[in-house]
Amino acid sequence: MSIKEQAEAPTVSVPVNLARLSKVGQRPDLLDYLVQLWDRRSFIYFDARSRVASGHDKTNLGIAWLVLTPLLNGLSFYLIFGLLLGTSKGIDNFIGYLLIGTFTFQMSTRSITGGAKSLTSNTSMIRAFQFPRAALPLAVNVRELLSNIPVTIVMLLFIIFTAPAEVISWRWLLIFPAIALQFFFNLGIGMLLAPLLLRVPDLGMLLSFVMRLWMYASAVFFAEDRFDNHPVLRTIMDYNPVYLVIKIIRDSVLYDTTPSWRTWAVLSIWALASVAVGLIVFWRGEERYGRV
Amino acid sequence: MDVSEVSEVSGKPLTDPTVVVDEISVVYRTKNQSGGRTNAPTSGLKAWRASRRGDAQVRTTALSKVSFVAHQGDSIGVIGRNGSGKSTLMKVLAGLIIPDEGTVYAASNPVLLGVNAALITSMSGAQNIRLGCLAMGMSHAEVDAKFDDIVEMSGLEHEIYHPMKSYSSGMGARLRFAIAAAVDPEILLVDEALNTGDAQFKDRSKKRMEQVTNQAGTVFVVSHSLGTITDMCNRAIWIDKGDFIMDGTPEDVAKEYKNFIWRINEGNADYGRKIRAELMASLPEMRTTLLPNGWKRSR
Repeated sequence: MSIKEQAEAPTVSVPVNLARLSKVGQRPDLLDYLVQLWDRRSFIYFDARSRVASGHDKTNLGIAWLVLTPLLNGLSFYLIFGLLLGTSKGIDNFIGYLLIGTFTFQMSTRSITGGAKSLTSNTSMIRAFQFPRAALPLAVNVRELLSNIPVTIVMLLFIIFTAPAEVISWRWLLIFPAIALQFFFNLGIGMLLAPLLLRVPDLGMLLSFVMRLWMYASAVFFAEDRFDNHPVLRTIMDYNPVYLVIKIIRDSVLYDTTPSWRTWAVLSIWALASVAVGLIVFWRGEERYGRV
Repeated sequence: MDVSEVSEVSGKPLTDPTVVVDEISVVYRTKNQSGGRTNAPTSGLKAWRASRRGDAQVRTTALSKVSFVAHQGDSIGVIGRNGSGKSTLMKVLAGLIIPDEGTVYAASNPVLLGVNAALITSMSGAQNIRLGCLAMGMSHAEVDAKFDDIVEMSGLEHEIYHPMKSYSSGMGARLRFAIAAAVDPEILLVDEALNTGDAQFKDRSKKRMEQVTNQAGTVFVVSHSLGTITDMCNRAIWIDKGDFIMDGTPEDVAKEYKNFIWRINEGNADYGRKIRAELMASLPEMRTTLLPNGWKRSR
């Protein structure tokens, strides 16, 4: 019956009232996107917090591995570089130097790899719910920031209780802005890499390799002046944002010197540029992420 | 029966449309893993040449120029054979996939309930409820208010505090349904989720869907069970290999669909194809006219 009716009227005009109907799945403009992201803040925080706990469920020691991993890393670096290869020469308080290096670098490694994989590893969430996808890399970074709190406390305790003794001054508070800038830098890089990784999954394989090279260029376990004879390497290192974070923390915690304004300026520019570029790139690809 | 007359595509709709699907097409591009050859291995050079010729990518048309309008109070069953594009249609309606061509307009964000959408399996059901609700944009207070209802709807008891990886597939599906149904969606998309539950769950979910349609919402149900669709829906659409074949009352569509399947199974594929072509040709052509924001509808 209905088919006959339709055959008699082959064209139907459908008015679409844009005051009531809107396009589905269309990427909102950047400002709306940020507002939507802000509206999901409790989701981001809850996701981050519950994954700090569940991320280490499979091991017996659980959350202790957050601290144990960089500690063991530091220990192996100490054995190889400090004792065997003797890179510790000319470094005051090598243990503190090494601890700050490995602990600080670990946060960047974990945040950047986690952020870069936030789209590929959360396909089930993406398929199930409609929300601004930038919430995923953001949640990963917040999670790493949260898990970095006990790690930093342990790091400072180690530095206090291993000889030689340091001067505890107001400069220790400079850790907070340094880690905040590091957080924004990591977030931006993660958001920049996540869409790329979704399109070219092979990049995920390269990531750990790149992070390792990056670590060698961040003076984690050797003196900063090691590259003084290689002007190119020295310049790369001077503009390496993670190295700058490590340097700021070392200067203020170990050596009781105020980090230079130049260090702060370069790091701030890195952090802001990375977040701005990362956010725009991520937002522009928003419509494609569901297609996995 | 009278509801279906209201929602007929032909004639003047008496209620406002909630979803307008305007000529959407979706093409999937996937890598051809085996290079189309599974028997004797040929020389590497030949394989390389073959891949250079560009047959490494397979293009699958999941939907081609599908158009229809859904209205308030509609519950629409979507039927079709495997791989006909039903799930893709649901994903497009939910905004998870942006179609290659065409646009979907909707009165509010449709909420999709699928069986493959796993939540985070290392977390407990209770945590997943909170996470899912927050992801859909609810606040902690709203989640607290609805938490008990969701647990009741899911039919889980103390298991709600166990990690989700210990759940059976039916339990997981029920939990997902309960979470997605908690937001009071105006437009609810149900993808095969009903097939997994037991009788008690089917009853509950049916009630939930009726609630949505009674609140002037729209429900889409994908199911292979024609019984479910004639039971729960007042309208059905049939999609086959990405083509929109038929739109009508569930009884009419189910009859034609059964007839088509029967012809194909009989080996009379030509006759089946003829039915399909006739039905497609009799579909009205749909043309959308955009009314700009804030303007009154002109008749």
